[in-house]
Order: sequence, then C-alpha cells, then structure tokens
Amino acid sequence: MISSFPPGLIMMIGALLIPFLPHIIRQIYMMVLILVSAYALTLGFGTHSKIDVMDIEFIIFQSDSLTLPFAIIFHIAAILNVIYGAHEKHWNQHVAIMSYSGAAIAAVHAGDLFTLFIWWEATAFTSVFLILASKTERSYKSAFRYILIQVGSGMFLLAGAILLMSETGSAEFRNFDINSLYGQLIFIAFGIKAAFPLLNGWLQDSYPEASEIGTVALSTFTTKLAIFCFAKSFAGTEILIIIGAIMTFYPIFFAVIENDLRRVLTYSLNNQLGFMIVAIGIGTELAINGAVAHAFAHILYKGLLFMGMGAVLYRVGTCKASELGGLFKFMPITAICTIIGAISISAFPLFSGFVAKSLIMSALGKEGLVFVYFMLLFASAGVLHHSGIKIPFFAFFAHESGIKTKEAPLNMIIAMIIASTLCILIGVFPSYFYEILPYQIQYQPYDFSHVVGQLQLLTFAAFAFICLWHFKIYPPELNSTVLNSDWIYRKMIPGVLLPLLNLINNINKKIEQLIGFMFMYVRKFFANTMIKNKVFDREVGQDTLIVVQLFIIYLIFIFVWKIYL
Amino acid sequence: MKYLIEKFGKINTSVLFLCIIFLVLELIGHRHGETSIEDILFFPAFFGYVSCIVIFKIGVSLRSFLMKDEDYYDK
Repeated sequence: MISSFPPGLIMMIGALLIPFLPHIIRQIYMMVLILVSAYALTLGFGTHSKIDVMDIEFIIFQSDSLTLPFAIIFHIAAILNVIYGAHEKHWNQHVAIMSYSGAAIAAVHAGDLFTLFIWWEATAFTSVFLILASKTERSYKSAFRYILIQVGSGMFLLAGAILLMSETGSAEFRNFDINSLYGQLIFIAFGIKAAFPLLNGWLQDSYPEASEIGTVALSTFTTKLAIFCFAKSFAGTEILIIIGAIMTFYPIFFAVIENDLRRVLTYSLNNQLGFMIVAIGIGTELAINGAVAHAFAHILYKGLLFMGMGAVLYRVGTCKASELGGLFKFMPITAICTIIGAISISAFPLFSGFVAKSLIMSALGKEGLVFVYFMLLFASAGVLHHSGIKIPFFAFFAHESGIKTKEAPLNMIIAMIIASTLCILIGVFPSYFYEILPYQIQYQPYDFSHVVGQLQLLTFAAFAFICLWHFKIYPPELNSTVLNSDWIYRKMIPGVLLPLLNLINNINKKIEQLIGFMFMYVRKFFANTMIKNKVFDREVGQDTLIVVQLFIIYLIFIFVWKIYL
Repeated sequence: MKYLIEKFGKINTSVLFLCIIFLVLELIGHRHGETSIEDILFFPAFFGYVSCIVIFKIGVSLRSFLMKDEDYYDK
C-alpha cells in the first residue's frame, strides 16, 4: 500500500484533518505525517506507482538519484517549519504549510509532465495562503499578483506538456531539447518559478509580505522545485550558464540598497539560485552535484536567516534596517543563529555554504569558464556584503535603536538551533553530505588553496565593509521602495495602458457623436425628400398597405390551393 | 594593539588581524587557484576588497533612480 503512495501526498490529504485537532495534538500529528511521508524514501529508485486516466499515463511516484536529495531536504525543511511555527495557534497556516510541503515533495516524485503540472499548481494554490496570512492590504494585493504569475507559469508547463504529448506520444518528465517549441515552453515555466532575470519580480514582491512563518516555508520549496526541474530536464543547456551568471550578479546591487531585511534575503535568494542555475548549465557530474548540494545547503541556511528575521519581525513588528539595531542583548540566541546562517551563506570554511559552493566553482574552473568564474567570485563577495554582514549587523548591532524586546519563542529557537547545527555538520563532515548527491565523485573541498583563498576573499571583503562603515562612507538605511522588475506590471503597464484605454474611450465617444450626427442628418434628409407630402406620405402609405395585404391574402390562397386541391 | 582597539574597536581590529594572518599563510604554503590569474600573490584578498568597494559604489549610485518613496506603489 505505502509503496504505491507518493511521498508528500499523505501530507496533503492529512492536512485536511488539521483544523479539527487541538493545538498540541496538531503539532504531533503534523510530525507523524511528515515521517510517514519520508518512509516512502526508503523504497529505493525506480517507478513505484502509475495510474491511467483517459488513456494518459500518470507516473505519480518515481524516484532516482536526483530525486532523493531534494526529497530528503524537503522533508527536513517541513519538520523545521512545523517546529518554527508551533507558537501559531490558528490552524490556517499549518494547513497551508503542510499541503504546500506535500505538494512540493510530490512534485519531485512526478514521472510525467501532467502529474508535475498538478503538483506545480498545487504548490501555488497552497502557498498563496501564507502570503494572505499577513492580513494586510499590501499582502492581499501581493498574493493576487503572486497567484497570477504562479498559475501563469503552470499554463506554460501545461502547454509544453500537451505539445510534447502530441509530438512524441508521451509526456515523460525527462531531458528536453531547448530548440523545440515544447522545450521552450517548459523552459519558460521553470524559469518563472526559478525567478529568472526580469521574471523575478514576484519573488521580492511576495515573500517579504508573507507571515514570519510563511516566508520560511516559501523560501524552501517553490524556487528549489524549479531548480530540481531544471536539473532533471535542462542539464547542460548552455544558455543557463549566462542566465545563471546574470542572476548571481545583479540582485547584489538591489540587496545593498534595500532597507527591508527580509526583502534583502529574497534578493540574496535570487543570487544563490543563480549559482545553481550556472551549475546546471555546465551539466557535468561535478556541476550537477554542486547544484544539488547548493540547493540542499541553501534551504538550510536561507531558511535559518529567514527564521532569524522572522523572529525579529515577530518580536519587534518590523524588519526594516532603518528601524532596527542593538537587538543582540535582547535576542542573543536568535542573533547567534542568524550569524551562523550568515557565515554559512558567505561560504566560510567549516560551514555548509563552503562545501557546496566549492563544487560549483571547481566545475567552472575545470570547464575553463573563466569569465563566469570571476562573475561568481564577485557575487561571492557580494553575498558576504548583503547577507553575511548586512543582515546580522543592521538587525542586532549597528546603532542603538532603542527597541526593548525579549528572546524569540522557544519553538523558534529550537528550529533555529537545529538548522544551525545542520549547517555546521554539513560543513565539518562534507564526505557524508556528498554521499547523498546524484553522482559518486571524489572531491576534497578542504585543501590549502581553497581554504586560504576563500578566507582571504571573505575577510578582505569584510574589511572593506568595516572601512566603509567606520569612516562613515556607508550611507544610512532609508525607508524606501527599491524598484524591481515587478515595476513593469505594477507601474509601467498600467501607466501606459490606462492613458491608452482613456484615449480609445475618447475616440469612441467622438465616433459615437459623429455617427449620431450623421444619422440625424440622413433622417432629416429623407424626411424632407420622401415623407412630407411626397413619396411616402400618409395616404400613399395606406394605399400601399392595402395592396400588400391583398397580395398576402392572394399568396395564402395559392398556398392552400396547391396543398389541398 | 591597544591603540588599534581604542581607535577601531575589538571586532574591527580582530578582522584586521585575521586579514594579516591569512596573507601570511599564503607566504608559508603554496596556494593555487582554479584559474591561472588567481595564482597571483594575494589575488583573492585584493579581489575581495575591490569587489566589496565596487558593489558598494554601484549600489549607492543606483539609489538615485531605483529608490523611491516607501508608499510608491500605494499612490
């Protein structure tokens, strides 16, 4: 029975019972659901379950060496989310998180594009409630934009799947050719969810508007599902190297000037996705391992950073750098965990980011992609700047904000400590971590050159920040909105479209007036020439009517005659 | 040492000393990079420092046209 049940589905179905359970039992119940779902991961690789609907084969449970690491980290993240959100008494977010996690886990086990499409859309419809949970005007509007874009990406996926089915007779989820039309449609679908340049606006727009629990869950699943899909379907597609390099590069500058620290983390998320996309574009075994390792490690340290900022938001009510500062003495454990997340994302040796990112950098070096290599090296310094320093510094140190608060709730602290421990364990024992990656490779991240080179890069980048801050060159953080690609559909299109619609409306009114005037003129003309004592005056009209009536009577008579006589 | 701590603070001075230690380490052992350019002496240190300054400079210059009022989208 369990062997035919795809992992994640049990979480989605089980989520329906959550509203009816008391708080403590609900938390235990959710943990059990996740563990039952995780049991299916022990069944080994292969196709475990498929169903036929209307002559279409839905492969609902398939696993391989690429699926496993994503399934493992998604389950770990789901457990961390349950612990982190345990203080929330209301059931709505718990249902959303459980079904959202379940949909993402089920999606990575999909063996065909139609099954993937169902879970793809399910992640969108379940996760939108996490944005709505903030219950602010901004979050409602943001959720609306989010769902439109997510469903839009699903439509591209469905179109690609149908085209693939019609051309090849199968919609198997496999490696696709970017030069085919179906390949391009599927590529766009994945690209929207992976927050490609100019398609990334939804990410920075929606995630920071979600609740403190919701953002942690959101940062885990949607974008990493897209990374999994790219790794499965477009490994070795060269254009991904260019797209990924741009993704690592440009969000850095936005993150530097952004004031909302959760939004800074979304730019950082975008930048980290770029590393993974570059690795998938390279497509070698080392690079794919790098992409998967990076996704795995990233879920933990980015989740940890979002947890830290979520705890600050929960206690203080804001995440704006301009309003925060000096919280270390009130929230020391949160601060230390956030610093561990910051050190991990910056890729300091002995932390998870280092052992994951080294694989990608080595893959780039081996392929001789020097320019991209230096773009990513530059981006690494940027990561240190905006995530490694800016996040913990402006929240917990910088200036004295005058805010007095208390440490995060116990459940949040437990979740952060577990995530921090995992970040360190992965960094200290990389060989165990590498064993779950898709390809078995011999790689040693801790050699003299790697370690010293990375430490020099990071400490000197940190020293540059210190110089800028100490000599008061670094400008103060300001309450502001930083324009991003969502400006296109939030301001530019309405800005162009509304005047255009007004113009069309005005033209329409003028034409209406003109037609009305012409009609009046024609009516007047005919009245003057034909009716007044002329051709169609009353008497002539009456005579005509009599003639017509007689003619009709005559026709009826003929008709009856022909039928009956 | 005491002067440095008074002038720059404990953390900043510690970072400065770490920087010096990692430079010295390169002189003791043989470091080589993924690319030949990286083999230049103290290249990662130089690259890290310059990158951070460049990122800061570009970021600040972008403020003038990317940064709008907080209620920009609500208007």
